[in-house]
Amino acid sequence: MPHRGISSFMYLLLLICGVIASASATEDSIFIKFETENLINGRKLWLDNCKGCHAYGTAGAPVPMVSGEWKHRVLKDRTVLYDHAINGFFGPDDTMMPERGGNERLTDKQVKLAVDYMVSLAKHYQNKQIK
Amino acid sequence: MKLSTLVINISAAVTITAASSNVYAAGDTVPVKAMADALHLVLDSDRTIYTRKIVNRLVKKEKVIKASEHFDDDKALVLPAQMFRFGSELVQKRAEKIPDVNFSYSLQSLWPINKQNAPKTKAEKDGLKFVADNKGKNYYTEETLGGTKYFTAVYADTGVAPVCVSCHNKHKDTPKNDFKIGDVMGGVVIRIPIDG
Repeated sequence: MPHRGISSFMYLLLLICGVIASASATEDSIFIKFETENLINGRKLWLDNCKGCHAYGTAGAPVPMVSGEWKHRVLKDRTVLYDHAINGFFGPDDTMMPERGGNERLTDKQVKLAVDYMVSLAKHYQNKQIK
Repeated sequence: MKLSTLVINISAAVTITAASSNVYAAGDTVPVKAMADALHLVLDSDRTIYTRKIVNRLVKKEKVIKASEHFDDDKALVLPAQMFRFGSELVQKRAEKIPDVNFSYSLQSLWPINKQNAPKTKAEKDGLKFVADNKGKNYYTEETLGGTKYFTAVYADTGVAPVCVSCHNKHKDTPKNDFKIGDVMGGVVIRIPIDG
């Protein structure tokens, strides 16, 4: 099957676009609203600073609604994810997570809240898939 | 899908409007939308690899060279968007000598630093607005220019690195200075002539 690579890529793209397309009418139902204060604040920060790439897989950003992309990440020590988000990170394929998502005005605490929300969102979709 | 088949049959591509399978046999034609999507996939992948393997690796990670809009004066790498634009210009020039390969592509924006990169046709304007307002979706339409009918596709171009955003926001000629990473900053317009 000579075009498996492209097919897989297109499948992922369609999957993400499908999720987002259905999200456009009901964004709240896709970007889950959790009830704790930290996750409410984290969600707002995530929507303002992270959604632009992480909701669409832009530039290789892992999408929390696609559980396979976060399976190994949610298992990591949270301090590793904080460090990558605060200080930036180069992935194995030279993908680049910019420091503080490119918003230098964000404090460490704000970045951590956004990370916490993204991990919760990823876990939500993993649990949904398991059920 | 055979690329040779795909390229050879550009001009006849619209004769088939719906494909029931993604497998093509010799002699088949490819729907023009699939052709545009395939072109964009190649263009976007090449640009992504240049960004990751050249710019990210050498400029950001290894810090051995800079990338600059003024790459000649600064002895630096060209920016990913510039590489894309240079490719577009070369394709335009080379395609003029190959009658069967008749298409064009360009990087445009509703907020261009260089006014030459602003949309000119209604389809371009509508398409750039659509991809900016509907993230994750592409725009497809047909338009007639100079008596020739074209299939025109517009794909979002997103700011993915701090330098893309900060350069546009701070540039003296920018009409918009509040871009954030992840924002749609423009679009790739692919235009393929089709039968009337």
